[in-house]
Amino acid sequence: MEFDKNSTLKLAKLARLSLNAEQLNSLEKDLTSIVSFIDQLKEINTEKIDPTSNSLDQDLILREDVAENKLSNEDLLKNVPESELGFFVVPKVIE
Amino acid sequence: MSNNWQTVIGIEIHAQVNSKSKLFSSSSTGFGSAPNTQVSLVDAAMPGMLPVINKFCIEQAVKSGLGLNAKINSKSIFDRKNYFYQDLPQGYQISQFKDPIVGEGSIEIDLGDEKKVIGIERLHLEQDAGKSLHDQDPNLTFVDLNRSGIALMEIVSKPDMASPEEAVAYVKKVRTILRYLDTCDGNMEQGSLRADVNISVRKEGDELGTRCEIKNLNSFKHINAAINFEVDRQIKVIEGGDKIKQETRLYDVTLDKTRSMRSKEDAHDYRYFPDPDLLPLKLNQSWIDDLKKDLPELPDEKKARFVEQYKISDYDAEVLTSDRLTSEYFEKVAKNRNVKLAVSWVASELFAILNKLNLTIEKSPVNSDQLGDLIDEIENGIISNRAAKEVFEEMCESSKSVKEIINDKGLVQISDTTEIEKFIDQVLIENPDNVQKYKEGKTKLLGFFIGEVMKATKGKANPGLLNQIVKKKLDN
Repeated sequence: MEFDKNSTLKLAKLARLSLNAEQLNSLEKDLTSIVSFIDQLKEINTEKIDPTSNSLDQDLILREDVAENKLSNEDLLKNVPESELGFFVVPKVIE
Repeated sequence: MSNNWQTVIGIEIHAQVNSKSKLFSSSSTGFGSAPNTQVSLVDAAMPGMLPVINKFCIEQAVKSGLGLNAKINSKSIFDRKNYFYQDLPQGYQISQFKDPIVGEGSIEIDLGDEKKVIGIERLHLEQDAGKSLHDQDPNLTFVDLNRSGIALMEIVSKPDMASPEEAVAYVKKVRTILRYLDTCDGNMEQGSLRADVNISVRKEGDELGTRCEIKNLNSFKHINAAINFEVDRQIKVIEGGDKIKQETRLYDVTLDKTRSMRSKEDAHDYRYFPDPDLLPLKLNQSWIDDLKKDLPELPDEKKARFVEQYKISDYDAEVLTSDRLTSEYFEKVAKNRNVKLAVSWVASELFAILNKLNLTIEKSPVNSDQLGDLIDEIENGIISNRAAKEVFEEMCESSKSVKEIINDKGLVQISDTTEIEKFIDQVLIENPDNVQKYKEGKTKLLGFFIGEVMKATKGKANPGLLNQIVKKKLDN
């Protein structure tokens, strides 16, 4: 499958990435090759197999409802470019 | 406005599961903590972190599903709903798309004398997002992730409602059921329960119109007002020759208007796919059956029982069972007592004072034992119903016992016949004219005499006895 320019632009928009022409071009090529690799897998007949089946003989692991706050506010915000009053601070975004 | 327009309403309720920890991490869910103090590495989406699901949240979702008379799915799947926003560090919300934990069900709503069945489409579990504050700085947004990852149950109705009244009755009923089940505290002010309302209008017999969704309504008043505004707006648009655009709208409380938030034309492409970090959730039928066995009595059953057991009106039963704690309070008060008194004291006097003080029943200044004591005094003829109201007011403000208050205020009722007769005789002597008129046929004056004696006794005369004796004396 060809990954055309419009699809690449749409993906970039959904991920809030602004790309120049060169980046767009190279991404288009990469994405086309990724998608065609995935397309190969589609050739296998999976009609009778559950979408989430896997090779592990295991069920979903459950956890008891016990609350603990292990991460301090200071540690949480340690690598943040900007923070104030304990908040993450980002450019104004209102949707 | 022409009246052959029909309104079609469907509602999505987001109800916070009342768990101690989040859906996929152990961070606490407490309300009102300092920003970003209940955030784990999982909630902050640090690389390599893996979600582990909270068993209690699964139980609560299943219980809620059973309470909504819905089908519990023995297998459900968690999906990623992908979108980019600053209060969603993962870049996706873990939700359930194609295979929710709970399928179709239905509940019954009361509309005065009528009942209506509203269909439930599904209930699924998902993560809440963080909170963005836009008013701290003109150019910046502040983000608090304490809420990020808290478990929500999204309950989706069928488009079965046709008016704001039905919509409000539906949300109220779902809230009541969840509170009975104790799966969500239903606190709308704190955002534990909020509603997204989908509205469209059409002419009778037409196909469904284009709908608009009003997001995040957090009170019954707002639900009602937002629907009223939106229905009018849509009809005006169509009658003006325009078309409704499918979009998300916000209800502005101060302006009492809805306004466009984002257009669905630029629809989000959520690119749902099964979360590879989570295996399918499989539920065992016997486990579901056990939960079903342990369900508490639900509002409809309780209401029917109240009508049957206490011989009270449908209306009173509805009022008393609209909240689980109220119904439990009432049953304690009514136990071995006069039911009529219990109903009137709980549904009128107690509700009035709670309303006035803006309190919920769990914070009531008078507990069920104390109110029971007060009713005992009325039933035993120690105080009149009128004096009891005075005692009740005092009870709301002090910690004194009912007996103490009655003694301190000197409210013990006069039930001694000879003593009451003395007061009556005095009143009759003082009002010979009215006695004459009464004897000539103006029997309405009976109330006047009773009133005068009440005044003289400062309201302490036993009203039943007083009535009897005055009548006897005048008729002789």
